Amino acid sequence: MANRNNSKIHASRVRKSVVLRLIPIAAAVIVCGTVWQAVSGFTGVPAFILPGPLVVAGRLAGVLANGSLIRHSLITLGEVLAGMAAGVGSAAFLGYLLSKSRLAEQILAPYIVATQAIPVVAIAPLLFIWLGSGFASKVLICALIVFFPVLVNTVIGLRSVSSNLHELMRSLGATRWQNFRHLELPAALPVLLGGLKIGATLSVIGAVVGEFIAPDRGLGFLISVARGQYDTALVFVGVFSLVTMALALYGLVAWAENRFLAWRD
Amino acid sequence: MKRIFIIISVCTALLAACAPAAEKSALQAVRLPMGYIPNVQFAPFYVAAEKGYFNEEGIAIDFDYKFETDGVTLVGAGELPFAMVSGEQVPLARAQGLPVVYAMAWWHGYPVAVAALEESGIRTVEDLKGKKVGIPILAGASYIGFRALLNTAGIDPEEVNLDVIGYNQVEALVGGQVDAVVVYANNEPVQLAARGYKVNVIRVVDFVNLASNGLLTNERTLAENPELVRGMIRAILHGVEDAIADPDETYRICRGYIEGLAEDDPIQKQVLAETRAFWKSDRPGWSELAAWQNMEATLRSMGLLSGELDITRAFTNDFLPE
Repeated sequence: MANRNNSKIHASRVRKSVVLRLIPIAAAVIVCGTVWQAVSGFTGVPAFILPGPLVVAGRLAGVLANGSLIRHSLITLGEVLAGMAAGVGSAAFLGYLLSKSRLAEQILAPYIVATQAIPVVAIAPLLFIWLGSGFASKVLICALIVFFPVLVNTVIGLRSVSSNLHELMRSLGATRWQNFRHLELPAALPVLLGGLKIGATLSVIGAVVGEFIAPDRGLGFLISVARGQYDTALVFVGVFSLVTMALALYGLVAWAENRFLAWRD
Repeated sequence: MKRIFIIISVCTALLAACAPAAEKSALQAVRLPMGYIPNVQFAPFYVAAEKGYFNEEGIAIDFDYKFETDGVTLVGAGELPFAMVSGEQVPLARAQGLPVVYAMAWWHGYPVAVAALEESGIRTVEDLKGKKVGIPILAGASYIGFRALLNTAGIDPEEVNLDVIGYNQVEALVGGQVDAVVVYANNEPVQLAARGYKVNVIRVVDFVNLASNGLLTNERTLAENPELVRGMIRAILHGVEDAIADPDETYRICRGYIEGLAEDDPIQKQVLAETRAFWKSDRPGWSELAAWQNMEATLRSMGLLSGELDITRAFTNDFLPE
């Protein structure tokens, strides 16, 4: 009985805390929306330059009703998730290798840094020739953009583990896997998740870069078509959808951070 | 005496320094958005600038390479008086409330085409049924031209397998990624021929008359500064005339405006030659109502236009030279 009461109290506190956190966010949205409406309404700026929030909301309702926003959003989300999986997976693997082997670092690091100096928009058309303009090339562009911040954070995270702790694990006779599972991974996780937060937002940009260069579907396509038709309200809808997607992914990583790093508190 | 000489010298030097500035300030600065990058296809503008035709009309021209839609938006917003755009942009922009008007036809024919390797056997629009056709983007002039082409043959777009390939038409066609590609008739077929490929080209201009590239302005400039519009048109048409008349000189002038253009690049010379054909007309600068009506019908068939639109207000011939 006491437990049940405690859990009820806990749930009520959580609800209260969520509501308290949502109030300033909602207030900020309302203030921004009001200012935006005032600027677009009172200055007489035409809708093709700055559509008001009501116009954008109307356009949003339209593309939600005909299903095109959901369809394009799901395509972009698929590219983003696949790109993140590929980018994060390869970066974590290579990051581990680089953190463990100075030789590997000496050989690979210059090339890895050099790849970051290549603007993706410049090589994207080539990727479309090599891989076709479908899903694979867009996922690859996304993965390329996500790769570097996650790699850097992985290396930093793994290298930040104190040598004393390594010696302690060795003295306890820990295997390589145990060392990784119980020492390196928990120690590196805060930095790794920090990299993942950056990667989550960048991955959305990556997918859209691909969709801009060979637009046939996805939110990048929707924005391209809207720009081509001077439908600025639809451009705003596409941009806000991308922002929402990036925020959701960021929130997901933040949630994972709270979930897996609760031990820090 | 020495002091007087020094004063006169200083005054003379100051006057000399001020003279070009005064001359320049008499000209009206006009920033002209043009599509994307410097190219031989803009040769008439380079010729007009080089020969001082803009200056003669009181215009200090500044070429501004950017995306076409950005140029249209700037003109629509009244930020700039002119932009060079493709015809389909005008009804699309007006449908969204942009007060833009097409004031001079530069190209007399829509440049979009479909190219296929000779061995593919694709020779007619009907041959495209069931084929995989590469297209840079499902929007803009390429897509609109392609859909207009299909309309002329009564082909449902669903009967063609469209593949969006970005601006990699030559590579996609040669690499066998697609059976045919949507191209610009004056560019990619030349590139393919130069690489030794025999291609069949199906040109939109041979099937339907659509409003093509030309000078865009806005209603305010037409009303408040008609002489500027007339001067701009005269300068461009003068450049077009010269560019058609003397291709060698035109190419030589282009070299001053296009970084890296070789002294004797046979491909670019051929692109220029193919492009010149689109500039030729019995009535330079003239817009035909039928071309605009066809464009409107195409855009409506594609669902890109739905509301009411008075297409006769989208263009004017009133500012062309007598």
